[in-house]
Amino acid sequence: MSESSSNDTRCAYTYAFFLIRLWLGLRAFFAGLEKFEKGGAYSFTAYYENMGRMASGITGASFLPLWTTRPFAHSIGYLLILVGVTLLLGIKTRLTLLAHGLLYVALSFGLMVVQEGEGVAWLGMHVILAIGGLLLVQYNRFALARD
Amino acid sequence: MSDLSSSPLTRRDFLSTSAKLGAFIAAAPYVARGADGTGSDQVNVAVIGCGEQGRILINAALKIPGVRFKAVCDIWPVNRNYAENILKKFGHDPKPFEDYRELLATVKDIDAVIIASPDFTHAEHTVAAHKAGKHVYCEKLMSNTVEGARSMVVASRESKKLLQLGHQRRSNPRYQHAKDKIVTGNRLLGRITNITGEWHRAVSADLGFPVGKGLSDAKLAEYGYANMHEFRNWRWFKKYAGGPMSDLGAHQIDVYNWMLGVNPSSCMASGGVDYYKTHEWYDNAIAIFEYPTKEGIVRATYNVLTTTSAGGGYHEYFMGDEGALKISESPKATKLYREARAPEWDEWTTKGVVAAPLSGEGAPPAVKPWEKVGVKKLGGPSKATVDVRETAALSAWDIPVTLDKAIHQPHLENFFDAIRKGTPLNCSGESAFATAVTILKINEAVAAQKTLTFAPSDFIA
Repeated sequence: MSESSSNDTRCAYTYAFFLIRLWLGLRAFFAGLEKFEKGGAYSFTAYYENMGRMASGITGASFLPLWTTRPFAHSIGYLLILVGVTLLLGIKTRLTLLAHGLLYVALSFGLMVVQEGEGVAWLGMHVILAIGGLLLVQYNRFALARD
Repeated sequence: MSDLSSSPLTRRDFLSTSAKLGAFIAAAPYVARGADGTGSDQVNVAVIGCGEQGRILINAALKIPGVRFKAVCDIWPVNRNYAENILKKFGHDPKPFEDYRELLATVKDIDAVIIASPDFTHAEHTVAAHKAGKHVYCEKLMSNTVEGARSMVVASRESKKLLQLGHQRRSNPRYQHAKDKIVTGNRLLGRITNITGEWHRAVSADLGFPVGKGLSDAKLAEYGYANMHEFRNWRWFKKYAGGPMSDLGAHQIDVYNWMLGVNPSSCMASGGVDYYKTHEWYDNAIAIFEYPTKEGIVRATYNVLTTTSAGGGYHEYFMGDEGALKISESPKATKLYREARAPEWDEWTTKGVVAAPLSGEGAPPAVKPWEKVGVKKLGGPSKATVDVRETAALSAWDIPVTLDKAIHQPHLENFFDAIRKGTPLNCSGESAFATAVTILKINEAVAAQKTLTFAPSDFIA
């Protein structure tokens, strides 16, 4: 393979990773942010109402006790925003991708226990993209703080 | 103290006061009983006819405070013993009778009689009960003959005792709300032009009886039955009943008359015994009525099928130029629709007249318990327009009133309240007579195979 061809491939991987990082970062940020919304207004009150409903809903439909679902629900919004911002800015991207993947595995677990197959598949796409990101993370550019 | 001179009596006040005074005078004989010194709200009741419908009424009446069962009557010991035993379980001590004449002659402290015997005996039982000075709640259809129905109204009138017929939808709060707040009150349907109604039932086997429990031929003959098969399946034989239009259609065509406030002017019908081999009455029939309302003719169809449950079960569907009301005793089969051309119904939602659906047709996509409320979800692909002449889709709404009791209970409560407090009956003998005339005309029209007309005087007993 010529040096020029190798550069082209590297360039393509770089752009591909940038797109994955951008998509996952935006997705995580807005997935976290929408949890603070109710009736078009954003507030911490709305966040704890929404997340309280999520926790009791999962507990009501599964074997998971409230003391496991509530702390997770109360923290997931903040964690998603944090992961989203760090991905977008490019801070410790490898670690952040792993955290992103783990968050969506945890969310998938919540839907697995309530037998919500479509939701599991939907969240699984996020995990697959995080895996793709980890495989391409060596091509990371435009980052504030590299691994 | 109010100053009477400052509130001149208007014509409206005069009419209102006169109407209330008239209602009180009409109810006076019944109110007086409550003021006879006993001070008791207890109503002593006997039941004549303890078969399937009698048991339903007993179970509904058992939930009403102050109702005391004193006697039960049925010619078949199986029914009689069942009713006696179930009432004893609830602390009543009813005396059992085979013959209603013996019951009426023996048990003197009865105030009211609930009659749930086969249709051909309604007139005989009701007239006898009235002559014995009892109020009567009788199952519909009043009678299988117009003459029988008329004799019941006359007996009630002459004895000055109450006669309520078991068209229980008239006491259902959802039906009352639909009539008073939607159809007539606020006219949300606009000009009603058509009604359809149906009761579709799947094929059912004839009723049998336990071995060794049949009545003897002599006993059956004594009470007018040809044999045990006809006794158990009396609804299917012309000698005893008015057929499926009487059994099922009577409930719903009564709602047509009641909701529109007029009786029909004509009837055509078709029906036949096309499926069953052991029945006399038709197993499917369709009737068409014309109702001469103040706003014009309302054309109504009614369809009773006993060979299939397809088509949506049982409901009445009132269709107007601004909205439609599909109503049924089953809340699941009840829905309101607003035509696209009609004014918005936000005002009526605020006033509690209609409600935006929370589930079922017209409701937003279901939200899982763990999902955030209020998120707009993407729907599937929009329905393709197959014809450019299709009108805009109706918007679906709910009636915010549900019945949380047994379906016959409010109607029985109305009857007992009429005895105790003089509350107007929701289905008096006079108004039920008009329904009986309407229903029995269908059978005439099926036989005649032509359109028959009604004279206004036909509906007066």
